[in-house]
This record gives sequence, C-alpha cells and structure tokens, in this order.
Amino acid sequence: MSNSALYEIQNLKCRYDENFTLDIPSLTIERGKSYGFVGPNGSGKSTLLRIFAFLDEPDEGRVRFHQGDFSSERALAKKELSKSKAVTMLLQEPYLLKRSVFENIAYGLRVRGIRKHLRARVNESLGMVGLDPGMFSHRKWSELSGGEAQRVALAARLILKPMVLILDEPTASVDRLNAQLIKKIIKVVRKQYLTTLLIASHDLVWLHEVCDEILKMHEGRIMGSGEENFVTGPWFSELDGLWSTLLTDGQRIRALPPPGEELPLRKNAIALLDPTSIIITTERPDHISAQNILFGRLVHMYTFEHSERVKLDIQVSDMSLTCSITRKAASSLGLLPGLRVWVVFKASSLQWQ
Amino acid sequence: MDYIAEGFVTALKLLLRGDPETYSAVFTTLRVSSLSIIASLGMGIPLGFSLGYYSFPGKRQIRAVVDTLLALPTVVVGLFVYALITRRGPLGSLGLLFTIPGIAVAQTILVLPIVIALTATAVSHLDVRFKRTVLTLGAGRRRTAITALYESRYGVLAAGVAAYGRAIGEVGVSMMIGGNIKWHTRTITTAIALETGKGQFAMGIALGLVLLLLAFVINWVLQIMRRRA
Amino acid sequence: MKRRGVAFFFVLLIGSIALFGLVPVVGLAGDLVLHMATTTSTDNTGLLDYLAPVFLQDTGIELQWVAVGTGKALALGQNCDVDVLMVHAPTSELKFVNNGYGTNRREIMYNDFVIIGPKSDRAHISGKSVKEALESISMSRALFASRGDDSGTNKREIELWRALGLSVPDRDSWYIQTGQGMLATINIAEEMDAYTLTDRGTYIKYEDNKSGNPPLVILVEGDEGLRNQYSVIAVNPDNCPSVKYDLALKFIEWITSDKAQRLIGEFTLLGKKLFISNAK
Repeated sequence: MSNSALYEIQNLKCRYDENFTLDIPSLTIERGKSYGFVGPNGSGKSTLLRIFAFLDEPDEGRVRFHQGDFSSERALAKKELSKSKAVTMLLQEPYLLKRSVFENIAYGLRVRGIRKHLRARVNESLGMVGLDPGMFSHRKWSELSGGEAQRVALAARLILKPMVLILDEPTASVDRLNAQLIKKIIKVVRKQYLTTLLIASHDLVWLHEVCDEILKMHEGRIMGSGEENFVTGPWFSELDGLWSTLLTDGQRIRALPPPGEELPLRKNAIALLDPTSIIITTERPDHISAQNILFGRLVHMYTFEHSERVKLDIQVSDMSLTCSITRKAASSLGLLPGLRVWVVFKASSLQWQ
Repeated sequence: MDYIAEGFVTALKLLLRGDPETYSAVFTTLRVSSLSIIASLGMGIPLGFSLGYYSFPGKRQIRAVVDTLLALPTVVVGLFVYALITRRGPLGSLGLLFTIPGIAVAQTILVLPIVIALTATAVSHLDVRFKRTVLTLGAGRRRTAITALYESRYGVLAAGVAAYGRAIGEVGVSMMIGGNIKWHTRTITTAIALETGKGQFAMGIALGLVLLLLAFVINWVLQIMRRRA
Repeated sequence: MKRRGVAFFFVLLIGSIALFGLVPVVGLAGDLVLHMATTTSTDNTGLLDYLAPVFLQDTGIELQWVAVGTGKALALGQNCDVDVLMVHAPTSELKFVNNGYGTNRREIMYNDFVIIGPKSDRAHISGKSVKEALESISMSRALFASRGDDSGTNKREIELWRALGLSVPDRDSWYIQTGQGMLATINIAEEMDAYTLTDRGTYIKYEDNKSGNPPLVILVEGDEGLRNQYSVIAVNPDNCPSVKYDLALKFIEWITSDKAQRLIGEFTLLGKKLFISNAK
C-alpha cells in the first residue's frame, strides 16, 4: 500500500447471470498516472470504469480509494459522497441536462455549493474545450451538434478539476473533427492538471500518446499490460506433443503445452505472446528452427516519441498480431504498410495464462 | 340553421357587453378548476414522481390501478363524493355540498389520477444516462431526485395542463356536487347544460365559445410542453 | 429566463384566481343564506329570480336554490342537504311530511298542466277530457313523450294513467321516456311528432322560443285532473338538527304573506300570467 496508490482493487468480481463480467484478482491505480483500457466489446471495460466512478458496486471484492473503503460489505454514506465528488466520468454518448450550456457546466459546481464567480469559471471551461462562450454559453441543450455536446459534457467535468477523470470511449460517438479536438484537450489536461486519467478506447495510437500504461481486457479479466498478443483456443494436441490452434485460413499456431496440464481441462486456455519475441522477415525463411512461421500483411506501423522501437500491427489470417522491433530493423527491412511479411516465433515463446 | 347563426350573434353580444350571468359562470369555472388544479398538483406530483422514479415491491400493480382510475366516469365520482359530503354522510358537517370548495374536492379526485399517471410516465422516461451523468458530477441521492424532477419538468407541466383541461370541461361532477346555483356554483359547463335544456341557445353558445377558447389555449400550451419534453 | 417569467406569471394568475374561490362570493348577506330545493320547471319560470331579491330586501336572507327533479328535491330534504322545499307533487309531499322529513307544509299557488301535441292531432284528442284523451292516445298507439324522471310533472302523468285504470305504458314502443327536463322533453316530442304532458309555464316558454308559432299546440286543458298545486315545506329539524329551521320558517311566513301572494299573482312569463296564488 504505497502512498501514491489511488485505487487498490482486490478480488473484484461482478456477475451477470452465470458469467463473470469482471474478474480481477488485483489491480492498483497510482495517483497522477494515466491508464488506457483496451479490449473488445463485452470485455468489461465499461463495467470496470463504472466501478472506478463509484456508479456501480462490485458483487464481490474490495475497492479501496484513497483511504476509504468501498465494498459490498461496508458502504459508508458520508465517504461515498466525498468519493463521488473527487471522481468524474464522461460517458460514451454525449448526454446533457435539459438546460442551457451554462447551466450544464455550472451544475457540478452548484452541487458542491459553489455560487461565486460561476460565469468566469464556466467561460474558462468553455475556452478549454474550444467553444466560444459568447456563442455557446446561452444555447439550449438541443441546439448543439453531437460533437459540441460532448465537448460541453467534457467542460462540465473539467471545471470540477477532478482528482480522477474517467473517459469511456470519449470519441466513439462523435465525428472526426470533434474527436481530434477532444483528444487534444485531454492531452493538455493531462499535462496541466496532474489528473489521474482512466480511458477506455479503441484508438490505440491516441492511448499510446496519452497513457503511461495500457491494460488489455478480455472477458472480464486483465490480460497484462503492454502490448502482448493473446492467442485463444480451442487447442488440440499434436503428434509431436505440441498444442496447436487453427486459424481461419488454415495456418496453425503451435505452442509448448504448460507442464503437467492435460488438454481436455485447458482446451480454451489463453496464451500470451510477447511482441518483442516475434521476428519479421520479408521473404519466406528457410532453415529456421522456430515452429511458427506464419504469413501475413503489415497493416500499421507506429512510432513513438523517445523510443527506439517501432510497433507493428500485422494481420495474420483473422488475428491481429502486435510486434515490436527496433527502428533500425524496420528500416533495413524496408517495411511499409501493406507489405506482405512473414511472422516467426518459437513455440516456447507462448506463455500460458 | 337560422337560429344557430342568431345564437352566435347574441352570444358575441353577451360576451362583448360583459353580461353578468355569462361572466359569473366563467369566473366560477376558473375559480373551481384553479382550486382543484392546485390541490391535485400538490398531491399528484410528489406521488407521481415517487411512482415513476423509485423501485419498490408492488410498483407495477399500483401503476396499473392508477391507470385504471384514469378512466373513472365523472358521474361515478360525483356519486361517491355526494355520498360523502351529504349532510347524512360522514363528511356532512363540513357543509361542502353546493359550494365551490365542494366541487373542487370532487374535481380533484377526478383529476388526481391524471396528474399521477402522467407525472410518473414523464419521470420514468428519463434517459438512462441521466442518473449516471448527474451522479458522476457529484450529486447525492436527494439532489439527484430533485434534478430528476426538474429534468422531467415539461412532462410534468403537460400533466398539469392536461388535468386542467379535464377539470374545466367536465360537467357531471360540477352538476351533482355544485347544484348549478346561479351566481354561486354555476360553471360554464353546468350553465351550458342548463341553458340548452331551457332552449336558450344564445347563452349556451356564448359559454361554449369561451370554453372552446380555453380548450384551444390549453391544448396549445400542452403541445409546446410535450414538444420540449 | 424569459420562459421562467412566463411560467411564474401563469402560476401567479391561477393562484390568485383560486384564492378567490376560498373567499365567499356573497359578502353581503353573510350568514343568512337559505338553501332551497325546487324543481327544474319552477326554476325555469323565473319566478324565484323575481321573488328572491324582494325576499332579500324584506328579510335580509339570501335565497339560494338548486333545481332538480321532484324526487331528488325530496331526497335532498330527507338528507338534510337543504333547508326548505318548493315542489308541486302533493301526494309525495304528504308522504314526505308523514314520514317526518318535513313540517309546516303550506300551499302557495297553482297553475295547470296541459296536454300538447302536433296540429295534425292524429289521435283526435283536441277538446276532450283528460281521461278520454289518454285513452285515445293509448288505443291509437300514438307517440307520447314522458319525462320519465320522477319529477312532479312525471308523477302527475303517472297518476293520470293509473286513474284511468291503465297501467303505465312503460314498455310500449309508442311511450317515449326521455329522462330529462320539461323543455328538453317538449323538444323531443316536437322532433317525433308526439304528444306530451307539460306545465303551462314551460309551454309558454316553448311557444316563445318558436316565435309564437310552435309545431306543438295545446289540445287539452282546464280539466280538474290537470291542476298543478305548489307548496313549500320546511325540512324537519327533528330529522335534521343542523338545518336552518328559523330561516325556513321566515321564508314560509313571507311567501304566504299578502304581499308575496300578490306578487305571485302579478308575475308574468313573456307577458302571460302563470300562477294563481292560493295560500290559506
């Protein structure tokens, strides 16, 4: 329990009918850092964010915030109140109250009993999201475009100078221009306010630019951070003792089975593949001892500030594999998006969950 | 055909000259329905809000009962209230029969289900994201409820306006409980009933015009409220 | 902001109008209000509108009346909802008094009933006695409109059928029970070219409505069985302790006085005399 821990999650479980929507044994969120959450729909991102926002309670387990306790066993009303005032969340689809822009933005302040200098603060907030107060302050909720509404919603939260700002797919429901703006604004916020950011998004590039850490989620679990690939089953036993799984175009991925495990029990196990353990070639390699030689197409290349490495998104059959290689290697291979490449890795590189 | 046109002309004369009988009926109607609207809103909005906003066992059944009461025939209400406030009845000593407050009480009973049902509907139609938004901006439970009521204000106002329209236009209860006493409890509707029965079409038409005008205004306001909701 | 102002204004407007409702409308007479139940046909003659101001002047008591059917008027008296009755159904009135619901019954005036019908008079009742007229109507199955509402007129009509030894033609197709007031019933009779029994007062009004040329004319009048006797009855304070018995007595005293009786005799409806006062 370090000083900088803002959230400490232990044995968090949420259920819906028979399934777990969230199953997180342990997770720590540190003050002032920003975290990105990625994963397909239904992976539990929104549920987790709502728990961080204190909008929902877990079915089991504990969420420690600051130094208070918030769990299904003991929810102290007073502490709840102060918690909810330190954390704010921006929903995926823009939603405003049925009142003027000014009133929407001022609402949070009024709730906190702040009555003075409202206009000045609202104007400042509008300025931060790139909306001219003179033109927008008096407008009704119904007189805004989707993008403008989302920016107003953001302004309503920024004005609170919250300790934690949670964003659930903040750009998914708005047009490109507004999406750009919002992303820019968040970057500024991060620099200026030392707010702890928790962001769920499909936009990996943006998350890379904004977040200190990125957590992948899959079926309610956190599959480690970084850019690991996960390979799902069903797995079948091969004659040579390896396990393999079939991709839609007929290619196979082979892995060294976990020691002492029997197949029927772990048919749907998930294996992680570290992006740095993948080798890329532009021609089919011969004489290589690796058991996995796959053919795919380079879709995306990402470079990052202050990094010697380059991230590659490669489409292999129905999977998207993430690889990380040095800049030098990338340029010597002459890599360009759209190029067909070979992906090589050892069966022992796959780590079981 | 002739005497309808004649009736119209006389009606306009009555209205423009400020005929005391006509205007007495108009003001009585306004007095009575204003009393009943205040009472039914005062009781109906909190009840309707609770019904729409909170969850509790039996909620659906209560809602069903309220919806059934919407269709209460006025004469049934009139009968019921008469039985209560007649001298022989349990509330006889209040002396409400044949008085304006008496009519207002009966109208309130008639109109209360409308307010409750429409308010509950307005509140329950709040966007799902509303609660999350407001909570995440720091509102506590009570604050959220108040904001919810304000957020549904257009629907609630529409409920009030609809109820007012019903109260103004009803005749069964006003007749039975009010007694249609000239200058005292003669409302627009009971006066129309009486005058038409007497063959005084002119006054009936005059009052009918006022009632139509009121109904149009009410409806117009209602449309505005509904559109905003 | 502007919108809030408008809404606030409306609330203020309605609120102030409502407050008016709480303030009693008649400040002048104050406590001295006498509640009367009378019949629709009596109210329709306008006699009470004519007498009430004089009564107020002479006694300081304000007369307020509800006009309903005779049956309802008697019920209101029985239930103690009014203080005094003015009706015209002697048989029922006597039963009312004998049952202890009313006291101080005094006859005050009378007018008469008439049988009216279309000029064509297919049942040929013109000039006949009541007995013969009703027999003719019944035999020829001519359409007859009855009020069917337990009013004084209605009760009289039923008594007349019974006096003939006939049962009330309740289920006969030619017998139309309107369940409504006298003028409404006459209008229906006119629509259907039917006969009906009415009090003279309402007929005078009807005649006037038709600018002196009504489709239905008086065919039978003057018969003894057609006399319409009006009386006032005070609601019995033994049965109704809260009733304003003293005010009721004052009214009865006033309306049987020479002055009021003279006024009644002088009362005209559209230029025609209507009542004959006969208080003893």
